[in-house]
Amino acid sequence: MGHVCQEFDDTTIFVKKPLLFVRHGVTVQIMKLRITAVLLFIAVFASACGSASTDLTGVAADIYGGGCADRVDETVTVYSGRTENLLAPVLDAFQCETGIDVEVRWGSSTDLALLLAEEGDKTNADIFLSKSPGPVGFLESKDLLGTISQDVLDLVEPQNRSAEGRWIGFSGRKRVLVANLDTVKDSELPESVFELTDPIYKGRVAIAATNGSFLDWFTVFRDQFGTDTATEWLNAMVENDAHSYANNRAIVSAVGLGEVDMGLVNHYYNYQVAAAEGESHRAQNHDLGDDDIGSLLIITAASVTQTSENDPVVGQLLSYLLSTPVQEYFTNETFEYPLASGVALNPVLPKLAALEIGSVDFDALGGGFEETLAIIEASGILNQ
Amino acid sequence: MPGLLTLSRRSPRKSGASLVLRSLSVIVVIGFAFPASYLVWRNFTDGGQPFDLLTSRRTTGPLIRTLKLAFAVSTTSMVLGSSLAWLTARTDLPLLRFWRVILPVPLVFPTFIGAAAFIRTFASGGLAHQTLGWVGIDAVLQFRGFFGAWFVLTLFTYPYVYLPVSSRFRQLPSSLEESARLLGDAPFTMFRRIILPQTAGAIGAGTLLVFLYTISDFGAVQLLRYDTLTRAIATNQLANPAAALALSLALLILAAIVVSAERATSRKLPTLGDTQASRAVRYSLGRWKAPSVGLAALAAGLGVVAPFVALLDWASGALHPGSRGLTIDTENVVEATWNTLHISVLAAVAAILAVLPIALLVGRYQTRGGALAHAVVISSFALPGILIALAMRFWTLRSDLAFDLFSDTKALLLFAYVVRFGSLAMGVTLIAVKAVPQQLNDAARMLGATSFRRFVSIDLPLMRPGILAAAGLVLLSTMKELPISLLIAPLGFSTLATRTFSSFEEAFVVEAGLMAVVLVVLSFALSWALVLRRADDL
Repeated sequence: MGHVCQEFDDTTIFVKKPLLFVRHGVTVQIMKLRITAVLLFIAVFASACGSASTDLTGVAADIYGGGCADRVDETVTVYSGRTENLLAPVLDAFQCETGIDVEVRWGSSTDLALLLAEEGDKTNADIFLSKSPGPVGFLESKDLLGTISQDVLDLVEPQNRSAEGRWIGFSGRKRVLVANLDTVKDSELPESVFELTDPIYKGRVAIAATNGSFLDWFTVFRDQFGTDTATEWLNAMVENDAHSYANNRAIVSAVGLGEVDMGLVNHYYNYQVAAAEGESHRAQNHDLGDDDIGSLLIITAASVTQTSENDPVVGQLLSYLLSTPVQEYFTNETFEYPLASGVALNPVLPKLAALEIGSVDFDALGGGFEETLAIIEASGILNQ
Repeated sequence: MPGLLTLSRRSPRKSGASLVLRSLSVIVVIGFAFPASYLVWRNFTDGGQPFDLLTSRRTTGPLIRTLKLAFAVSTTSMVLGSSLAWLTARTDLPLLRFWRVILPVPLVFPTFIGAAAFIRTFASGGLAHQTLGWVGIDAVLQFRGFFGAWFVLTLFTYPYVYLPVSSRFRQLPSSLEESARLLGDAPFTMFRRIILPQTAGAIGAGTLLVFLYTISDFGAVQLLRYDTLTRAIATNQLANPAAALALSLALLILAAIVVSAERATSRKLPTLGDTQASRAVRYSLGRWKAPSVGLAALAAGLGVVAPFVALLDWASGALHPGSRGLTIDTENVVEATWNTLHISVLAAVAAILAVLPIALLVGRYQTRGGALAHAVVISSFALPGILIALAMRFWTLRSDLAFDLFSDTKALLLFAYVVRFGSLAMGVTLIAVKAVPQQLNDAARMLGATSFRRFVSIDLPLMRPGILAAAGLVLLSTMKELPISLLIAPLGFSTLATRTFSSFEEAFVVEAGLMAVVLVVLSFALSWALVLRRADDL
């Protein structure tokens, strides 16, 4: 809030100006309107400044209910590809509980990774949080990530962190098939992504072919089954008139509206859209077989910039992301899979027996993405 | 009688631009060249083979689709924008002020929000579908592919034509039109012989912006599932950075070609006549009144009301029982609104100041350097915002001094906005400059007025409608800007657009709806203020 209150002085200067126009012949009526607008503006600002308080409210208070600690003279800067609505409560709770100032740049994971690559060792960022492993892998390949301390890494199972200690998962999203409740019969729901090339699914399946989550998934698919099998599958999907959508969110909406019958997505978006739209959203997640590649778990990853790898505050924030209250927040409020041990899964989520992306040697995939994209572009899926 | 003579070519003054003007222009152009030079630098230092990639099939497919869309959108926006400009500037269209306030507003919708609103509204169970259902029509329109992209982009880009052209229409000297009428020209002949030649420059400049915007759009074409060059750039950025850079370079080259073509054509146009001394002639619509109101209502209805109602529908979700609580509070809304308002006003002012010297060089002195500067400024509009953000970051990191002074400051943010949107102001400002009669300046010079005094008391007042239109274009565009606001702004600086984006991504549709509604209402207020300020032109 302090931010806006500091601006308050500028406001008064800014709004005084129009009054001068009286001399230039603007009518008194307009001036009156302006004054009303100005007064309204000031009233809103004043009330906003008056109501500022230090203790947490809302969801953040569920993560940390105590009084806020005194400010300490330390700052941690986060570049977050996770969006503000979902992550801000966590960072607010951390700031309140520890007194450490948290500064954030919000953006898409890809854009922020590109920015970090541009900034190199001059970056102000200490921590980079990514929605998916791809952007982290990109920074790792450019040698821009520092090593996370072992005691933080030990908070998750070895398959959910990088073997070299460059990144650590802090929540998981499972690949599922989202299906329309009215147009898809239960008997039609498949057990494996390989069934989707069958003629009964012709023109009925959507994939987000250029979205980060699909690129990650397809890269692992290639790693597990070989590039030939994966490419054949994709070409068969194109042959079967699969549709390409911008992202998971767009697929979930389209399936909910009955525009397309089903789509391959991360489990989490259907819960978000259902929470927002309630009954009118006519779509449900269907879990493919436990050992099917279509049930892969994809993690959201935290990493540390090379310049900040030894900063103790950084380790403090990373462990906070994996603390029980925060992991409970991720599973109960944002419907994700918790990765720290000992945290109970949100009962609405199906139990996890799936492949986990960490169990694949993600670090070693390296240039895998380039070839993945080449295969996808060549398949022709982007035109349908 | 200068009016009748000015349609003939006037010999331009080849020299005489002051050193101050030239140096200012050089500084501005260096600023505007940051993104392009960054792109060239990266292309040749990252070890890519840009030219191989540009000719591969992976590139040509999206390139052809991009061109197809850009030509289609440009054509329809040109016709729609010019017609609306004519109706609101020169006819007795009923509810004139209302149309003038509402017609520029589509510019403020971030295209991804606009596209999403249309998909939702016309889909099964959407607002339009329900409304039609009440009268017994079961129509589901799928806004996808070429048709959807063309439709949505036309609606959201016609103001690029509408704003400059209507300011031009309002400035045309009435003397020529009156003479033509006296000589017995039929209305359409008169329009073709007198009005069109004098406005073609403005129409061309506006259409050019539509073309460049269309080739750089990402949000709408993505959601509408039309695969273009920007998609190819975006997905290659991490997986194959060299390819992304080469494709961006292709985009820039394409823009440069189109800009030069527009320059070449507009040079052939007769030099503009002087601005009106009297009021512009207004024509009675007669039996064309009803269809004209219909056209304006169609544009406003589809471009503003329909998406706005969809946003209200989203925002009203907070009232539904069982919906989840809001994750934002009044503070967030007020802060984002204030940030959006002051930064976009500053950006508009800064953009005008930046392009003025170049407009003077090109329009008044017609120097070769000026023409080049003009091309550099306008071409940069075709680059995706993310590239401009990265370029700004890249150049501030090259020197410690720049880094200390500008990193994470509002000054850098403003600079980036000016580079991103200065192009919008360029064309309109140039036309405004050309419309100032040289005779007045010459007379004032002979009377001993200094160049500064001449500028303030002659040029500025005569250029005002054009400058306000330019400011409006920059203002509304800055308000919805996304990648630069996210990547270059000081930490913690949120705008209405960044909040809308973040909420929309995670299906917090209520928040997204609320923020977008505030954004649109704010743009209404600003558009109203702009129209009001030139009330004397009404």
